[in-house]
Amino acid sequence: MSNFFFNLDIQLHNSARVAKRLRGAIIVLVFIAITSFSICARAQEDKLAGWERSIVTIEVSRKQYDYYQPWSKRTRRFQKIGTVIGERQILTTADELFERTLIRLQKGGRGRWWLGEVTWLDYHANLALVTVSDENFWRDLKPVSFGSAAKSDGGYQIVRWREGKLENRRAEFSQFTVRDSQLCPLDIVTLEVSSEIQGVGWGEPVVANSKVVGILWAQETRTCMGIPASFIQSIIDAQKKGDYHGLGYFHFFWQPTENPASLARLKVPGEPRGVVVIDVPERSDGGPKVLKPLDVIFRIDGFDLDIQGDYIDPEFGPLLLENLATRKKWAGDDVKMQIWRDGKQLDVTYRLPKFEYTNSLVPAANFDHEPDYLIVGGLVFQPLTESYLTSWGNEWKRRAPFRLNFYRNEPPLKSNPALVLLSQVLPDSYNIGYQEQRYLVVDKVNGQPVHYLPELQAALQNATNGVHVIEFAKGDSLRRMVLAAGDTEHEATARVLKRYGIADGFRFAEAKN
Amino acid sequence: MLNNRLIIALICGWAVGSRAADAERSVIQITSYMQQPVWDAPWRFESVQRAGGTGFVIKGKRIMTNAHVVSWARQIIVHRYQDPRPYVAEVEFVGHDCDLAVLTVEDKRFFENLEPLDFGELPKVRSAVLTYGYPAGGEEISYTRGVVSRIQLEPYAHIGNRQFLSVQTDAAINPGNSGGPVIQDERVVGVAFQGTPGLENTGFFIPQPVIEHFLKDIADNRYDGFPQAGARVVPLENPAYRTLLKLPDDNIGARVDSLLPIPGSEKLLHPDDVLLRIGQFTVSSDATILYQGNRLSAALAFQFAQHGETVPIEVWRDGCKQELALPLNIYEGDWAGGFQYTSLPRYFVYGGLVFTPLSLDYLRTLGRNAEQSNSDLYYELYYRRYEDPAKARPEPIVLTSVLADAVNANVSTRGRMLVDKINGVRIEKLEDVVRAFQSSTGDYDVIEFLSHHSFECLDHADVAKVNAGILKTYGLSSDRRL
Repeated sequence: MSNFFFNLDIQLHNSARVAKRLRGAIIVLVFIAITSFSICARAQEDKLAGWERSIVTIEVSRKQYDYYQPWSKRTRRFQKIGTVIGERQILTTADELFERTLIRLQKGGRGRWWLGEVTWLDYHANLALVTVSDENFWRDLKPVSFGSAAKSDGGYQIVRWREGKLENRRAEFSQFTVRDSQLCPLDIVTLEVSSEIQGVGWGEPVVANSKVVGILWAQETRTCMGIPASFIQSIIDAQKKGDYHGLGYFHFFWQPTENPASLARLKVPGEPRGVVVIDVPERSDGGPKVLKPLDVIFRIDGFDLDIQGDYIDPEFGPLLLENLATRKKWAGDDVKMQIWRDGKQLDVTYRLPKFEYTNSLVPAANFDHEPDYLIVGGLVFQPLTESYLTSWGNEWKRRAPFRLNFYRNEPPLKSNPALVLLSQVLPDSYNIGYQEQRYLVVDKVNGQPVHYLPELQAALQNATNGVHVIEFAKGDSLRRMVLAAGDTEHEATARVLKRYGIADGFRFAEAKN
Repeated sequence: MLNNRLIIALICGWAVGSRAADAERSVIQITSYMQQPVWDAPWRFESVQRAGGTGFVIKGKRIMTNAHVVSWARQIIVHRYQDPRPYVAEVEFVGHDCDLAVLTVEDKRFFENLEPLDFGELPKVRSAVLTYGYPAGGEEISYTRGVVSRIQLEPYAHIGNRQFLSVQTDAAINPGNSGGPVIQDERVVGVAFQGTPGLENTGFFIPQPVIEHFLKDIADNRYDGFPQAGARVVPLENPAYRTLLKLPDDNIGARVDSLLPIPGSEKLLHPDDVLLRIGQFTVSSDATILYQGNRLSAALAFQFAQHGETVPIEVWRDGCKQELALPLNIYEGDWAGGFQYTSLPRYFVYGGLVFTPLSLDYLRTLGRNAEQSNSDLYYELYYRRYEDPAKARPEPIVLTSVLADAVNANVSTRGRMLVDKINGVRIEKLEDVVRAFQSSTGDYDVIEFLSHHSFECLDHADVAKVNAGILKTYGLSSDRRL
């Protein structure tokens, strides 16, 4: 625009004769120019009024551990997508936010990065809220509202920043289903859409009718999995009220009643319906079991269950009954059940236990917790966790040692709440003869049962006859080791730490969350 | 049996010297027409397969070959060297654990002018051997020279869960004629039998000590098999452990870490006993013995005894030496953990539900990832008896499949489930399944599974009406093979 005016100005000075004639034209041109500028500015504004103003890039730097060498750590930098959903609130998934060391955010897909922080995070639901303290960041950003995926007319889009440009790809609705959450083994409602887009599952919003109907947390080929907006909204609302303390779940196993003979055996009258409870393990919170094996559950919170264990959700349609443990209900909430027991119909109240990662024999995750280990004369002891097993790579369920993997199928018991593993031996003259030993589950040390590393450390204080006796779980591998205790042991530990470049001989870190 | 489970060593060579030329006249071409059972549909058989192998004439008008060459054979045809006439052979003795068999030929003319080959000793490492055989598809004998590269205990693939002495050579591996003789100094020093996937130019043969054990075993016209000591013997090298056990620092003695539930061994040996000597062999602290110049696993020292014999051992216990006589017997507790050949799979069909014992053969039908996808079956077969012997069952039973019929139309499980109880009867073996169904007086048969106590029900009276029809529909001549 400025060049145009400059050139015009030269013409005016060069030709006074045409000046008068041009004056009218100038006025017209200036008007056109101003009008054009105004239109352009408005178009730009309209463009900014779109998803560019509501979607941001989140860069996470975090620590990453090598469970083969739990004393070492690397750093990982990762980008995901956030959506502005309220005043100073950006929604994303909790995935990759564990062990974070730095959060930065970027608007418009390019340009300046702004320091951010996580204000709320929940690994159960895989949700997080992020904010930026700098006022300037929020200029031009516009919150979006949630909508119901179920009420969409079918026109879905997945939006994200990619290489500095806003990518907006069409998606087709597939189904609502109930499946394991990304970061915990609880079943939650999931929106599945199909799209040609690739590499999503990192908080990208799924939009319909100009509203966010879900954010994505995983992708398998063309199928993209998302958390529905109504589920997100219910948790955020509950969290604001202070009612949310994590997700609950049904701590029992059931089977369908598709076989009428099963119901007939239990003398259930009327049309086949409901599911049969088959196993009710002890609750880790010490709460009452409420249900018994061979109870038939007809109804939960007013929803009738069919013979496959589905109910009709008002928003999502047929869903597995597991969703009734997370449908506007949280850990500690009561759920009403109508059941059939011993030939009678009963109404019972089931209090939802909170899912705790540590309540499994092999904890499913260890977020914000540096890997624990203890090194004794080159023997490396670690808790057996899924994080450890995932060291075998993407196919860890197939590649990790069978027996270690199979412990995941076993419940924790009071007599056996957790497992400590001799994961490897760092060769030294002290441990000669044992260098090849690894993946052995510890049973006792110096006669004392060991389930946790602090117990192991304490047991090592009770050596008798100048030796440590380490006994391993029954199996097809080594059962017993004997090693020198006292000065020889301490010298060996110091020697191993120095030789292998390990700063600390043990770490029992406290969880942050 | 030639299949993809075994990489069969077909060790061939070229003639060197006149004696070798004579030996080839005693090398026999074997063609086996075999038909294996289908382990998850145990009344059925796979289609007949033709497989080629090799054998050689030994004393007593017998042909020695590999067990896997003649397993599940419906017919065995043998050919003499450059003789087109086929002869029918029969299996006289077979040792599936050591993968050896001897055959007989009824037609007396077969052995005319055939000299039995004599056996030699265990060859030395780095010495040359000649292997004879009939490579796949070939009608002419072939020879390969190889060098003995290693002697050690190796897993024997045919049985799947045992280790015996084995000799590794650098002879090229060609799919085909297993059972051929490996010759050195005009004597048979081994029987070619397997290779290892991923190792090129590597073949294995069964050496003379294993062959000799097999031949001694069948001398009483019955094959018993290799007995087991049932002791897990581990190195005892750590000075602290040796000091605790008051052992001299002489690198002698390996420790008994645990014991299999074999009565003779459990009674005589204890964990933390230190084996100083087994038979004539001194046991070193790394749990090895020195055998003909080769340092080998101490487990070998137990493998010279026959079933029912005792082996003198010297153990260190409570700070002093003790002389003991350890009885050695065959152990059948791990039978299901190895491949089976001696009898057809057992089964019982009730209301279209097919029950069969859990076995390695059955697990193999579940595909490559059976270990992961059916981990409870795998655990039950290989770990339960070690870790939880009180809950272990002599013969775990699997509901393997459901033959679809109106009577079981609503049974939701499709099989691959470990059975816990039927009609309240704990299922320890297949006969319990039959008894539990047949003795039921209730309206419903209740089958409970180990996985989270899930269950299925059948209408007892309805099943009784349709059992025969289901068998007819699916072509079963009997509802059971017990």
